[in-house]
Amino acid sequence: MDNVVRILFNSLQTGAVYALAALGIVLIFRAGKVTNFAQGMIGTFNAYVAAVFFRWLGWSIWAAVPIALVTAFITGVVIDKIFIRPAQNSKPMHKQIITLGIIMILTGIIPFIFGVDPIRLGRFFPTGGVDILGTTLRFNTMFTVALSVALMGAIFWFIQYTRWGLAIRVTASNKVTSQLMGVPTNTVTMMAWATAAMLGALAGIIIAPQSSVNPTFMLDVQVSAFFAAVFGGLQTFFGPVFAAFIIALARNSAMFYLSDIWGNAIVYILILLFLYFKPYGLFGEAPVEKV
Amino acid sequence: MSKNTVLKIDDVVMRFGGLTAVDHLNLEIKEGEIVGLIGPNGAGKTTVFNCITQFYDSYEGSITFNNEDGETIDLKSKKVTEIIDLGLVRTFQNIELIPDLSIIDNVMIGAHNQFKTGLVQHLLSTPKVRKEEKRIYDKALDVLAFMNMSDLKDQMVHGQPYGILKKVEVARTLMSDPRLIILDEPAAGLNDSETDELETLIYKIRDEYNASILLIEHDMGFVMNICDRIAAINFGKNIATDTPAKIQAHPNVQEAYLGKGDDE
Amino acid sequence: MTEKTNSTITKNTIITFFKERPWAQYILFGVLLSSIAFLPQIGVMRNSTMSIFALIIIYTIAAFGLNLLLGFSALISLATAGFIGGGALGIGIFLNMGLPFEVAVLLVILSGIVIGAFIGILSLKSQGIYLAITTLFVQEILRQIYTSVGIFGGERIDIGTITILGGIELNRFNFAHRSIIFLILIAVMVIIMIIFRNLIKSRSGRAFMAMSRSKSAAAAMGVNIMKYRVYAFIIATVFAMLAGVLYAMYYQSAPTRAWTLDLSLLLLAMVVAGGFKSVFGMFLGAFVVYGIPTLFLEDIFGDVSEIFAGLLIILVVLFYPQGLIHSGPDIKKGFKKIVGLFRKKEVTQDE
Repeated sequence: MDNVVRILFNSLQTGAVYALAALGIVLIFRAGKVTNFAQGMIGTFNAYVAAVFFRWLGWSIWAAVPIALVTAFITGVVIDKIFIRPAQNSKPMHKQIITLGIIMILTGIIPFIFGVDPIRLGRFFPTGGVDILGTTLRFNTMFTVALSVALMGAIFWFIQYTRWGLAIRVTASNKVTSQLMGVPTNTVTMMAWATAAMLGALAGIIIAPQSSVNPTFMLDVQVSAFFAAVFGGLQTFFGPVFAAFIIALARNSAMFYLSDIWGNAIVYILILLFLYFKPYGLFGEAPVEKV
Repeated sequence: MSKNTVLKIDDVVMRFGGLTAVDHLNLEIKEGEIVGLIGPNGAGKTTVFNCITQFYDSYEGSITFNNEDGETIDLKSKKVTEIIDLGLVRTFQNIELIPDLSIIDNVMIGAHNQFKTGLVQHLLSTPKVRKEEKRIYDKALDVLAFMNMSDLKDQMVHGQPYGILKKVEVARTLMSDPRLIILDEPAAGLNDSETDELETLIYKIRDEYNASILLIEHDMGFVMNICDRIAAINFGKNIATDTPAKIQAHPNVQEAYLGKGDDE
Repeated sequence: MTEKTNSTITKNTIITFFKERPWAQYILFGVLLSSIAFLPQIGVMRNSTMSIFALIIIYTIAAFGLNLLLGFSALISLATAGFIGGGALGIGIFLNMGLPFEVAVLLVILSGIVIGAFIGILSLKSQGIYLAITTLFVQEILRQIYTSVGIFGGERIDIGTITILGGIELNRFNFAHRSIIFLILIAVMVIIMIIFRNLIKSRSGRAFMAMSRSKSAAAAMGVNIMKYRVYAFIIATVFAMLAGVLYAMYYQSAPTRAWTLDLSLLLLAMVVAGGFKSVFGMFLGAFVVYGIPTLFLEDIFGDVSEIFAGLLIILVVLFYPQGLIHSGPDIKKGFKKIVGLFRKKEVTQDE
């Protein structure tokens, strides 16, 4: 019984991390019309920033994180303006290749700026927790999950109920028409990139304490986030978030009950099978093709 | 089905969710005929084409095709990729060509199923492959000569003027020695002299290839000139099917959309 | 006067001969490249440099497969590195089982066909992002398999001396043997070049392009999209595995940790930079993306290969979407400008 509860608690945090990253992917996909393969890498880069302030400069995690979020914001804006904007009219595949190029650039730059050693990042609440049903639910977990959910909730609210949110939804459904209607789509896209970068950075910051900040520590998050995005369906914002928690739960369960090496692979295979039959995800619908 | 019917659309209904795009449509096309399908935007014309060519195969009713050997084939039993083998071929409203291939390469794609050689043979470029490639290449040369486009054969499709692109699409259809050619708005975007050229071309195709032609068009002058019969539809339903003169005078047709008559 | 005309005629005949026969160009290229096989022996080139060229050739071969997917069929695959690894480790396993070399190669190719077909079929319902993720997953799964499953030996599989054609022994520690292996690499690359060109100029090549540029038209013209997608993946997988086999041949060992997503991305960069659908472009891409940083930049800046590759492919996509192979005219123009600047200097100096 306490195993089940423990898996549940772990999945909340892992799910939150996947969800943050997945939301970033879907934001850029819908509002920026690009499949951003670099989501994980951008998060990694900014997690490094937090780690550097925390470990090298000795700042408190509460101070280091906002700095990282600011640099994430800047990273998103810079990438959009310098690399994505010029390619606005390129074919989708070309835009995808550009994001792959960004991965390479970031991967290459990291050793030069941050060195080659992994850097440890601390938790928000290093110790302490509450005993529930035989397992400890850490304060840190509660905080990170609450923070993530609150953040995503705020974003959903923003998208649904504000003018800028409307701009995002409109740009997501038809960019050209939006432009004709006077919607500042370029700003919308830039906001999407900046927000996605921040979400990715936060995801990295939350999960880094479990291992360390190193060039590949977000690979699992990256892959899972993409799976969450397509599993949940790229046509809604909440679908991928929902799917992220499901994937986290499935993954942790599979890794515990079936095999800790192949647990995640099993989950991914199941999702791929699901996608074979429902290619547009849980909540997506096939667009009707007009010839 | 009478002896020289080529295509018969029999009580076809096509629904998309709550929308009935084609509503009990009937139409017969005979050998050597040029038939026009007209109707306001959204009347269901392209949907009819897509049903005929089996892009949509969930329609009710039947669409049957009489091939060269006189067999009557229910098109629903065929996959999209098998339609061209029957001698039924189409062009597209939005040009669907390959921009980074030459014009003659694009035309040769129209003969895709006439090749007997397979992937491995292509990798090795066997003598058989080279013979076949030459045969189809020569055929494409003939088609391009027929369309007076021989000097353009090696130019890339990308960047060609719209009128040329439309002609390349038509050339592509001729590669399959078609029995019925379906033209989706062939005159769209063409100026007056290009439209006249198109008229001449279509007659030429009908005569040389013994093909029937079904076309969708909005250019009323063009349609009235060239068609033997016209089927007017609206909201997916038949309004009237008759000779151009009778259609022009038909009150329901006028009411639906002719308005001020020709738009020349 | 007559002598000049004679030599011009001969020159023109030779040029036309090569122009009309691409396969001759590839063979000529291979012959020229073969000189590298002997340069270390006469002391003009370091052994490590020859290894870099060997890797360039190996990557070129894998790039051809990826080119078929990317350039012709518009299908992104991030799993190329995993398949190269599969070829290298696969042949390692088969050889260590005692199988004759040729049989081992055949087995690797067969498994490439099966795996490629499997992925092709899986991919049928996916487009764009879904496909990319599927290949990402395959890449990561393969990497996990190679590093976790015992049969792959943990760090690497050692192969040792290879015996080909029943009796010829090749040991990479023997310099002459190493040259022979290098020549074999070149020979395979030239064959792949010829095969690739045959393919793209054939009905199948046109079908690949039709399928990716306009599915509706392709279907209406009778192209069986499913069939050709599967073909594309089969060929791409087999080429990648073949590249892996050659890797194992040259280094006579197959590592488990080298087949990463980063390598897949590097290969993608080679295809993009070199030029979709271009034969020489693949070598150019491999040379520019891997060769230039490793040969020239590493000594000055350290390992900048990734930054360089990343910037390069972004620039290529923005300014030369057809690939650097088509930058010829611009390079000529730039050249002429520079030459022109020098000429101007000369003139003003004379005055």
